[in-house]
Amino acid sequence: MVEEQILRGDLGALGEEALTEFVESRRWFGSKAQDVAGVRVLDSAVLRTQVPLLAAAIAEVRFGGGTHELYQLLLGFRPAEEGWEQDVVAELEGWVAYDALNDPPLARELVHMMRGETTVQAGEGAVEFRSVDFGGFADISDPRPVGVEQSNTSVVFGDELILKAYRRIEPGINPELELLRFLTEIQFPHIAPLVGWYAYSGQLIDATLGVLQEFLPGSRDGWDLALAEIASDPNGFLARLRRLGEVTGELHSALAANPSDPDFCPEEPSAESLALLTATVDEEIEQVFLDLDPDDETLGPIAGRGEEVRERLRLISHAGAVGRVIRTHGDYHLGQVLWTGEDWVVLDFEGEPARPLAERRNKRSPLRDVAGMLRSFAYAASAAELTTGSPPPEGWEERAREEFLGGYWDVVDRTIVPPGADGRQRLLTVFELEKAVYELRYELNNRPDWVRIPVAGIVRLLESDG
Amino acid sequence: MSEAGHWFESDPLWFKRAVFYEIHTRGFFDSDDDGSGDLRGIQEKLDYLQWLGIDCIWLLPMYESPLRDGGYDVADFYRVHPDYGTVEDFKNLVDAAHRRGIRVIADFVMNHTSSDHPWFQESRASKDGPKADWYVWSDTDERWTEARIIFLDTEPSNWTWDPIRGQYYWHRFFSHQPDLNYDNPEVQEAMLQALRFWLDLGIDGFRLDAVPYLYERDGTNGENLPETHEFLKRVRAEVDARYPDTVLLAEANQWPADVVDYFGDGDECHMAFHFPVMPRMFMALRREDATPIYDILRQTPHIPDNCQWGLFLRNHDELTLEMVTDEERDYMYSEYAKDPRMKLNLGIRRRLAPLLDNGRAEIELLTAIMFSLRGSPVLYYGDEIAMGDNVYLGDRDGVRTPMQWTGDRNGGFSRADFAQLYLPPLMDPVYGYQAVNVEAQLRTPSSLLRWLRRFVELRKQHPVFGLGTYEALVTSNPRIFAHIRQYEDDVVLCVHNMARSAQAVELDLSWYEGMIPEEMFGRTAFPRIGTLPYLLTLAPRGFFWFQLREGEA
Repeated sequence: MVEEQILRGDLGALGEEALTEFVESRRWFGSKAQDVAGVRVLDSAVLRTQVPLLAAAIAEVRFGGGTHELYQLLLGFRPAEEGWEQDVVAELEGWVAYDALNDPPLARELVHMMRGETTVQAGEGAVEFRSVDFGGFADISDPRPVGVEQSNTSVVFGDELILKAYRRIEPGINPELELLRFLTEIQFPHIAPLVGWYAYSGQLIDATLGVLQEFLPGSRDGWDLALAEIASDPNGFLARLRRLGEVTGELHSALAANPSDPDFCPEEPSAESLALLTATVDEEIEQVFLDLDPDDETLGPIAGRGEEVRERLRLISHAGAVGRVIRTHGDYHLGQVLWTGEDWVVLDFEGEPARPLAERRNKRSPLRDVAGMLRSFAYAASAAELTTGSPPPEGWEERAREEFLGGYWDVVDRTIVPPGADGRQRLLTVFELEKAVYELRYELNNRPDWVRIPVAGIVRLLESDG
Repeated sequence: MSEAGHWFESDPLWFKRAVFYEIHTRGFFDSDDDGSGDLRGIQEKLDYLQWLGIDCIWLLPMYESPLRDGGYDVADFYRVHPDYGTVEDFKNLVDAAHRRGIRVIADFVMNHTSSDHPWFQESRASKDGPKADWYVWSDTDERWTEARIIFLDTEPSNWTWDPIRGQYYWHRFFSHQPDLNYDNPEVQEAMLQALRFWLDLGIDGFRLDAVPYLYERDGTNGENLPETHEFLKRVRAEVDARYPDTVLLAEANQWPADVVDYFGDGDECHMAFHFPVMPRMFMALRREDATPIYDILRQTPHIPDNCQWGLFLRNHDELTLEMVTDEERDYMYSEYAKDPRMKLNLGIRRRLAPLLDNGRAEIELLTAIMFSLRGSPVLYYGDEIAMGDNVYLGDRDGVRTPMQWTGDRNGGFSRADFAQLYLPPLMDPVYGYQAVNVEAQLRTPSSLLRWLRRFVELRKQHPVFGLGTYEALVTSNPRIFAHIRQYEDDVVLCVHNMARSAQAVELDLSWYEGMIPEEMFGRTAFPRIGTLPYLLTLAPRGFFWFQLREGEA
């Protein structure tokens, strides 16, 4: 009975309550602060008709005030007697429904379908699997999950491929697919090339559901590497940062290199673009300072200084050329780059998951990425001290910035950044301020122990000259 | 995923939660330095519109036209006026807007064409040519005298003699705008075909201009005839079948009881402007008495669930006073058009800020009321920065001057020579571009522009404003306009003080006993609602919006 229902693509048997409970308890569910009124499946496609069954579903999460969000669910179904217990959504009439990405044959199925360029009809639309270049990947090894992020779930196959399934979905092409496709096509060396992707397409929504990339075994996350080497070889790491600056410059130059593609061609910002940026950052500063707890001692250095920060922003954001705007990484920090043992590779082109997709696709000054990385050095320096107990050598962060920027300015296409050193510095400062304020809000909500890092960053920007 | 892609979730009711932004293409931004704004200019300003948070651009007519009526005199439905660009520019604009999550609708003139339109030229050339019956011809100008003359200031009659054909032709507006003959099925088909052309380019809908006048019948005033509704239903059926998530917005300057007919049973137009509420908001403000607003809302009939009112404070036309009594009109003229130059037809040709003596509190108050009512607000370009008008320019040009982007030459609107500009930008000390411009207001945290953006954002976070029920809260203080909106779990209390003095009001909120009003901008909790009347004090022209939250037990 249930099996027939599922094979017809009818997931109604799962029930609102079970779905709601399941979605609300997921790390990838982003709107935990809101009242969930209910969750229902809007459309689904059966991707595998043998046991274990596999279905992809577009689920709508409705909130009390009448707003909603859409999420991708990948659901596996096995007979209950098999005793599957991991990430169970519901048990129904002898069957267990669960999150399919943990089930090896089901995760593998997704990759097979990309290689086969399968299109599966859903109730109202279709799920389309597409291959970019499967050249060297004949056998798909068993998968292992690698951590759940806030916006997606990733699975690694052998040491060869990594599949990232997006959870919250929004209309339009995901910037990550867009950038990977662009960079893979021009064979940009500092990415993990795109192998395949899949998407939902229909009247309800057109949305990217996931991407498959080459996996780079033996690589180390830039953040972990920073923490380890700040303790063991701080000067050696500085040399790596110079290289990271160069790679970042190459990335931006590559993203700005195709004037005939409207989605990527560099553009002149409009006359009021700097004022728009200032207004946006100013608004964020005001909001964050409005909510600061006056009794929190960690906040002491910036307490009551909201107006001063805004005044500083106004001073640095006056006049001056902004360079051109291009497609950027959008959420650039040490955790988004890998050291392969020989060189740097850039990952995660989704942009900041908290911002709407349309905004993440906007062209921005490349210096916004640069500022993100500079802020990351401040984090690394503090985190090294927090985790290992020993602070980095005196002036390390300053030198890290110099090395990185030195490498970056040497390489980056001059036409996309402000012409004068003074203008670059001011624009960088605006973006660093934006980032530090964003960090402050994030840490206040999530990691109170880390609040002092953005606080120090804001103080530094207040007290720097220029 | 198709390459063009669609950039929106399916949502046939998107327009009910949307904030619209009306743009006069000629006046927005000049991308090619010829002194006239153009479609590519709008595309260059999409960052700004995205920042402002609006959901849908409404473009005034951009079609080929001799421009004797601001483009409402269309000479070719398939071409863009060369000053504005090309059809390709239009498509690029729509694509670029969609990518930013912004929809685009445009004016479409149903009732008439320009006398320059080849259809009319053909029709007047011969009484038995193929297009002879595409317009309304007559040997006498005595027919349909019951039909009123709309452009009283310029037109002596709805009939004009055409020496070429030797007959009179019918026109409800200017004599250079002959009415199409909708009794001719070929005309109906031709107009549907023109609509399809733009829908195929990706446009999200149309504001249907001057729809009440499509047909003429003996013994009637020629407005709101059943045949007109029948044709609009045909347009709707076409749109529903082939172009989902499209909106048809009727411009029917009529009383609400007549306007509701344009919604049909939810099978005609999706939206229609609520014309009469707007002058009453201005009246209530001047009289410091909320009664006119309560009254008109009470007289506003129920509309189908899949329909929505369009609300506006000002637009590209004169502030029309057709939908008020003679007495009310005299009052409006004496209060808001002290200079006779400010009057036009049955209305006042002024922008929002000058109408309100540039009073910031008044602008905010009326904006708040508009945003709080059932309906979707329509902002008029430039009003978000409190632009002024120029009463010395003819007709409605005074409210169509160039958008003021910066304090630089030509207000940042164009790099052309000043003398080349289609109209001079405002340069007076109060409203001129050096004092009032987007860039300066972006940089000023307390500016109207920054305030309005927060307002738009708040509205978008609360579907209740677009979708919720409306319940008037009548109080013993006539200076207060208060009401409650509710949608699913969201309950919002809106209280507005029409007076120029501080006011206290006691509200009967016993139904919501135990709940806690939380002010929606500052998120400050107010005292819990008890059994006694709820006392609020409001600053002069002040307002409060509260979200009513469940109190802690």
